[in-house]
Amino acid sequence: MKALEITGLSKIYKTKKAGVVNALSDLNLVISSGEVFGFLGPNGAGKSTTIKAIMGLIKPSKGDALIAGVPASDPHSRLNIGYLPENPSFYDFLTGREYLYFIGTSFHMADNLLKSRTNEVLDKMELSLAADRPIRGYSKGMVQRLGLAQALLHDPEIYILDEPMSGLDPLGRALVKNLIKELKAHGKTIFFSTHITADVEAVCDRVGIIVNGELRAVDKVESILEKGITGYNIHVRTGGDISLFSGFDFTERDSGILEFYTSRALFKQFMEIVVHANCEVDLVEPVRKNIESFFLELVEKR
Amino acid sequence: MFTNLYQLNLKWIIRDRVLQALVGVALLLLVLVPAFSVLSMRQVQELSITLSLSFISFVLALLAILLGASSVWRDIEKRYTSAVLTLPYSRGSYLLGKFFAIAVCLVCSAAIFTLVAAVAISFSSGLYQSSLPIRWLHIFTAVAFDVLKYVLLVAIAILFSSISTSFFLPIFGTISLLLAGNASQEVFEYLTKDSVGVKTAKPLLYAAKGIYYLIPNLGAFNFKVSAIYPVALSSQGVIYTLLYFLVYTTIILYLAVYFFSRREFP
Repeated sequence: MKALEITGLSKIYKTKKAGVVNALSDLNLVISSGEVFGFLGPNGAGKSTTIKAIMGLIKPSKGDALIAGVPASDPHSRLNIGYLPENPSFYDFLTGREYLYFIGTSFHMADNLLKSRTNEVLDKMELSLAADRPIRGYSKGMVQRLGLAQALLHDPEIYILDEPMSGLDPLGRALVKNLIKELKAHGKTIFFSTHITADVEAVCDRVGIIVNGELRAVDKVESILEKGITGYNIHVRTGGDISLFSGFDFTERDSGILEFYTSRALFKQFMEIVVHANCEVDLVEPVRKNIESFFLELVEKR
Repeated sequence: MFTNLYQLNLKWIIRDRVLQALVGVALLLLVLVPAFSVLSMRQVQELSITLSLSFISFVLALLAILLGASSVWRDIEKRYTSAVLTLPYSRGSYLLGKFFAIAVCLVCSAAIFTLVAAVAISFSSGLYQSSLPIRWLHIFTAVAFDVLKYVLLVAIAILFSSISTSFFLPIFGTISLLLAGNASQEVFEYLTKDSVGVKTAKPLLYAAKGIYYLIPNLGAFNFKVSAIYPVALSSQGVIYTLLYFLVYTTIILYLAVYFFSRREFP
């Protein structure tokens, strides 16, 4: 089932000097249910514009977006969405608990369920102690965690998170990554934007890379990592005769272990030699380009 | 859904320190009414009614302008809109929730002020016996129509907020319309008097008529004279003003929702 379907989405802004800015050009994207999709791009690439169009904050110049089959322009489409805005800001005259109560009632949650879920998400986001303090006294990281708490509160099927790790310390980032993994384990769909490639590598099933308003690539993270293998580091325990390995660079390690590097093309030939020489293989480790290299190649490509 | 937003806004208004200060000032002024009224020597009762109605009107105007003009603009400025407008609410519910919360705040504030004013007027009238009776119904009617006038002003402030990106238009536009609306009836009557109409250039006369019908006629909401002096309250005037309020406010709110629904929050 399609959780999110974006067809030909474009956004053109008119500038004051009668110029135009193509913030988004003909974006086509389908996110399946239960998928964790990372929307990666440099600052100003169009990530937030896409999310704002999906959430109804801006009207696309062309194209449309469907949320679980319902047009994004219909407020009911947001009933099954947990949304975290970029650099969130919430009514600061309310306490964290009061704000969550407002969110819960906005999603028609029954009173008993709302109370228990509020305590649950406050606890999960480590905000229980600050729950009855006005939001105006919260730190940036606490507001970000409250943002995640309000997105989780009504247990939606789809999560749209705009830079969820922004403004968080390493502990907070780990918390969010674990949360995304946990949500995925429960079959939830997560669409999140980021400009940090390590976040994508850590939690995503698929990644879409957007540059200058254009979607440059969409692929499985696993597949990108596999395609990016350039060679292997192999640790071999030899019987002493290393003449068979002439032509392969190696470093001698302690206890008779030789550390070889072989390119992807020569890997098969190398392993045949290993079998022929009756050596013991201690470790085979792929050497690969990471998502960052892939991302940088795409960004630099004109 | 709508009540949820309405309650949220009511909470904001009640917790707003500026509002609390304004209500405090209004109550203090009303408590001082008997002291000010005795300065008139013989018209203590009449002056106490005039002062009470004027203080109430002044504070309600301040509340209407401050709350009406700042509510939407403040949400945009503090980026609350990106959180609240992405909830399953229509833009219309968001605006109407604000409007009704402010309207209820004006009604409640006016009720409290009227209660205190009633005590102040009763006390003042005891200080120097007036030949005129206190017409409580007329006083309550005058306050009620003042409330309606400022509720209409809140709708105007919200309309300006729905199209403006800064607070200048909502604040100064609303103040300008308050001043123009209070004077529009007199200006219109002056210009359309035969003696003046002859001298006034036709295009100017048409423009004045256009503006008169466009801007709110806030002078129509003024029932203070019948509250202070023994002038009969016109039931026709009351009904027409009530209908005018309903029609004008509905149109303004419809326009506000129309423009706000098309607004973008990049």
